[in-house]
Amino acid sequence: MNINGEFIAFFIFSVLAIGGAVFMINLTRVMHMALALAFTFFSIAGLYVLLDAPFLAVIQILIYTGAVSILMIFGIMLTKHKDEDKVAPFTVHKLLSLLGVGGFLAIVIWIIYRNPFFSTGEPQAAAFKVTDLGKAMFKTYMIPFEVTSILLLVALIGAIVLAKREEKK
Amino acid sequence: MDFFVILGPVVLLFIVLGFVTYAIFFERKVIGWIQNRVGPNQVGPWGLLQTVADVLKLLIKEDVIPQKADVSLFKLAPIIAYTPAFAVLAVIPFTESLKFADIAVGLLYYMAVSSITTIGILLGGWASNNKYALLGGMRSAAQMISYEIPLVLSVVGVAMSAGSLNLTEIVKAQQTGVWFVLPQFLGFIVFLIAAIAELSRTPFDLPEAESELVAGYHTEYSGFRFAFFMLAEYTYIFAMASLITLLFFGGWSAPFGLTFIPPLIWFIFKFLFFVFFLFWLRATMPRIRVDQLMEFAWKVLLPLAILNIFLTALFKEIPVLSQFY
Repeated sequence: MNINGEFIAFFIFSVLAIGGAVFMINLTRVMHMALALAFTFFSIAGLYVLLDAPFLAVIQILIYTGAVSILMIFGIMLTKHKDEDKVAPFTVHKLLSLLGVGGFLAIVIWIIYRNPFFSTGEPQAAAFKVTDLGKAMFKTYMIPFEVTSILLLVALIGAIVLAKREEKK
Repeated sequence: MDFFVILGPVVLLFIVLGFVTYAIFFERKVIGWIQNRVGPNQVGPWGLLQTVADVLKLLIKEDVIPQKADVSLFKLAPIIAYTPAFAVLAVIPFTESLKFADIAVGLLYYMAVSSITTIGILLGGWASNNKYALLGGMRSAAQMISYEIPLVLSVVGVAMSAGSLNLTEIVKAQQTGVWFVLPQFLGFIVFLIAAIAELSRTPFDLPEAESELVAGYHTEYSGFRFAFFMLAEYTYIFAMASLITLLFFGGWSAPFGLTFIPPLIWFIFKFLFFVFFLFWLRATMPRIRVDQLMEFAWKVLLPLAILNIFLTALFKEIPVLSQFY
């Protein structure tokens, strides 16, 4: 294994990403958890940069580190300041959940490795431009893109309707 | 390893520190002049060392941490607030050759990384365990999230005209045609207003409205941690003034063929004009009300930004006008 700048950067980012996730689970105060999660999101953006995908990295920071984390922290800010989570005892329900999640992970990994996407030779990530992404999205995959946007719009309106109904009670 | 890669950022940091020192002095002088006062004139010749003395005072102050504060977050918040402010400067090209990182999505990088500062401000307000700081933090986050959307949407027109998200390419697109401030005038107005709101400056300085909130999210901060929050704010003025110069005023390119003045000097001229404009605005405008703030972002600026995108797309297809877009 040759140790170069890329390897060191990869090592730092992976340690930060995994460390953030572990801290997120183990910390007791909700605000600390949200911050640990933000660190994980940010480190994943760093990994995208190493994989020659700067656009994806920037979008990851913009949406996850910027918007999602801030919204979470914003919501948590209004809760009790000294509120701490108690560590719940280990139950049968938890064991079943663990098995379910583990099984799901195994199936997802199996599907990913069966996918021919990985066997189409050397990927050309470095030559990829943002304009190519735009062309693929608005020319080749125009219909799926529009359908997805309608789906998101429906979900948005649904969320508003649900929230409004709760308000009346 | 290239010598410039290591020493360049250090030099830039000192330039930014020097800029912040004299921007504060200049701001006080300009506002004094507009309000028919003298401004600072006691420390050093013409008061030039006033900010240096102020910073020195901040650095030797006692480091106070409130007893009920969340100590680790209280210490971390100024770091999270300042680091992105300096990190965004990496993609700003000052001239064609003087730049640090030339990435393809420079414009988006700026928008993305600058949003991390909001986390620092929120954490600072929350960790202080003080209701004024909390309220200041909430206002600040609400304002920054709301105004970031028109800010990003208003530059879509520029990106469409230039056909790139790279800041160097955007400047080059303006060298062949006119500066984007003319064809993208609507986008420029939306960007200017949203940028001032993002910088939390008058008339959008509600997060630190001293008459209602003591000081805002940094109420409990003193000494060098407070200095860090202030430094982040002024570093963003540096970054935002550079960005507006690049996007709408042609960056380092010279107007009317006045090429005998070097590109860097042109950049500094345009940049300083925007900095002066901010100070001028602060001395002129009153603060807007908190209920008007959100309505203005969502009901006025956002539709205008979307209209600008539609108009740009439309004008790109009209034969006579398409040469400007």
